[in-house]
Amino acid sequence: MAKVDLTFGKKLKKYGAIDFNACYNCGTCTAVCALSTEMDSFPREMIRLSVTGQSEDIKASLKPWLCYYCGECTTYCPQEAKPGELMMSLRRYLISRYDWTGLSSIFYQNLTAYIIAFLLVIIAVVGIFLSGTFSKESFMHLGHYFEMIAIGGVFLIILLPNLIRMWRFTLLSKNINANIKHYWIALKDLFTHMFTQKRTLACNDEKDNKVWWFEHFILVIGYLSLLFTTVFLNWFGTKSLVVISMGYLFSAIIFVVTFDFILRRVKKDSTKTTFSHFTDWFFVIWLFLMGLSAFTVRLFLDFNLLERYFWAYLIHITVLAQWALIIVPFGKWMHFLYRSFAMYFDKIAKLAKTGQH
Amino acid sequence: MPFAGKKLYDALVVGGGIAGIESALNLANNNLKVLLVEKDLTLGGKMIMLSKVFPTLDCSACITTPKISEVARHPNITILTNTNILQIEKQDKNYFKARIKEKARYVNISDCTGCQLCEEACPVVVPDQYQYDLVGRKAAYIPFNIASPRVASIDMDNCVLCGACEKACPTGCIDFTQEDKEYEIIAKTVIMATGFNLFDPLKIPRFSYGNSKNVITALQMERLLAPTRPYNHVLRPGDGQVPCNIAYVLCAGSRDLSVGNPICSQICCMYSIKQAQLLMGALPMADVTIYYINIRSFGKGFEEFYEQAKGMGVNFVKGKVGKITETDNGNLILWYEDINQGKVIEKKHDLVVLSVGVLANDEPKKLIQGWEKDEYSFAHQKDLFYTPSLSSIEGVFLAGTTSGPMDIPDSILSAGSAAMEAIRYVKQTSIDL
Repeated sequence: MAKVDLTFGKKLKKYGAIDFNACYNCGTCTAVCALSTEMDSFPREMIRLSVTGQSEDIKASLKPWLCYYCGECTTYCPQEAKPGELMMSLRRYLISRYDWTGLSSIFYQNLTAYIIAFLLVIIAVVGIFLSGTFSKESFMHLGHYFEMIAIGGVFLIILLPNLIRMWRFTLLSKNINANIKHYWIALKDLFTHMFTQKRTLACNDEKDNKVWWFEHFILVIGYLSLLFTTVFLNWFGTKSLVVISMGYLFSAIIFVVTFDFILRRVKKDSTKTTFSHFTDWFFVIWLFLMGLSAFTVRLFLDFNLLERYFWAYLIHITVLAQWALIIVPFGKWMHFLYRSFAMYFDKIAKLAKTGQH
Repeated sequence: MPFAGKKLYDALVVGGGIAGIESALNLANNNLKVLLVEKDLTLGGKMIMLSKVFPTLDCSACITTPKISEVARHPNITILTNTNILQIEKQDKNYFKARIKEKARYVNISDCTGCQLCEEACPVVVPDQYQYDLVGRKAAYIPFNIASPRVASIDMDNCVLCGACEKACPTGCIDFTQEDKEYEIIAKTVIMATGFNLFDPLKIPRFSYGNSKNVITALQMERLLAPTRPYNHVLRPGDGQVPCNIAYVLCAGSRDLSVGNPICSQICCMYSIKQAQLLMGALPMADVTIYYINIRSFGKGFEEFYEQAKGMGVNFVKGKVGKITETDNGNLILWYEDINQGKVIEKKHDLVVLSVGVLANDEPKKLIQGWEKDEYSFAHQKDLFYTPSLSSIEGVFLAGTTSGPMDIPDSILSAGSAAMEAIRYVKQTSIDL
């Protein structure tokens, strides 16, 4: 017998959930959802679990990740319980549940703590620069090293353990009889969903869903490419014209697309951009700043201005450090991994269930 | 009683549906002179269109028509059909002045015998609003057989002025020169029995109403089931096939904030259950499924009526239908979540009935100054428990669904109560006009 936990709902409100207690269980949301299937029916089940506070069931569920938030459920909900936003906040909640450090949970629920963390990073970066230990050139070298170390470190210390926890919660705990072959076959799904987000296209309604998908798609590609260009092709140090122009292109993609995403959230032009948690704002704005500052730094380098306007690099490396140390490991960035791994795990579970080899 | 331009009345009853009829009868039987004004061509309102009533399964028209003939023959009641109220003004403490407009019917009521020869002669066919567009009617027409008054009328919006009806009419009662007439009358009290509007399902495009001919409203199903039904059988409008798997979508436009109507309409559960039982009789081989959020069978005998429907084999599924799509052969696919299983289901049906809800008729607001409405645009009841018939204006009383959704017995009760209050009011404030 499950116990009702009413405090859970209050907690969820800090993650951005609104009005889900208004639900009278008619099932309209589930019926209109283009992604909901007989095997995976949502979001009403998730609302029910949230209202009654079944946090362990929610922790073990992949359904919040199966929703790509087109917002139809919220548009048609007869009780205005905003099921779409509940699914969004459940994803934020799950990010903090998967995180072994517990920092995500603090950051999501507490804006002050979040801002303090951002300030600490600024102090650290500016402090190192002002200490005078490094010349401008070696400071930039240090920055490059930091990028490589941060990627490796965050991956090994945060991303990998958290993914393993997610796997334990959602697959292992359910006694799903999956063998190695299922894991192998399903890999295709993992990469398809990771790099194409094609499930978004199955969402209907919300007039410019396809435009939104395309913007998001090139943003992901642009982001990954810029990461590769700066870290492995040493964009700020290279003489290769090809690499330099690639970097310009990718960073421009990032700040142009994120500028549009910020605009959408300001204009609240669709259901999914109407309700923004503060972490959403940080996410889009920091990504925008990162693209723009990287672009500026390379521009200054090309016109030999960086020596004089070194603050541009200082801003860039600060934004980057905040991104790599706070937003990536403990925030919205993780949806890149969790969404695709959720599709992967879901496929494995389905393969195991049907006994397919 | 013919109108004949008489000016003074004790009571003005606005609306000739069952509540207006009941109020008028109560007033007239207590020797008050009543003017009953109906905007439509005939008395009877929505009740006269229904097949049977719940939970007794009595014939609806068989209850309405005797009351209508009583009203029509009553010496104290004057009836004006096809007439709009333009404005009601409270003159001083004790009486109301009303400006009314009798629209031209282009037929002389007193001479028309209702022979329907004009109908035969008329070449124009348009959808019949009295059959909820299931069939056509002529531009020269009698609304329906049990209409009151049962006289012809020319629908000037669609008339081609060919003059065929005029030639066919044996009594020469058709008069194309008729014009709208405006009158001013004085009444001591007013009863508002303006009824309700049905929710327009076109506002929910997901339900495919308007796109798929085999998605109909419950009022259309009432017509398909009524003794005076258009096809003389229950057939689906798309292709005339006999439906064998019928679905009811409850709360279509009720309890739904997304269409601006968050309240329960109080009648849809029961009329759907009633129709389901009637369908079991009319189409013994058909499956009938009712998709519901909650079945609200709160009235006397309602729960037993619900159980009876279950016993007859009506299939009740908990879950609101989310969307409806049409297949090539006119069948419909319903998407809903079966709440008891927690699963999305796609189900095929060959006829879908939308159990549309009750919306307030907002017209009184435009007719009379000082009219207050509640948050759902129904009349504001000044004292819901003490005297529920009192409106926000002294001397104006509320009958039937003017004040909120209710079923027929409640409407009749409410009409009686409004009449009683109006009689008391007239007696108290009586002056010689």
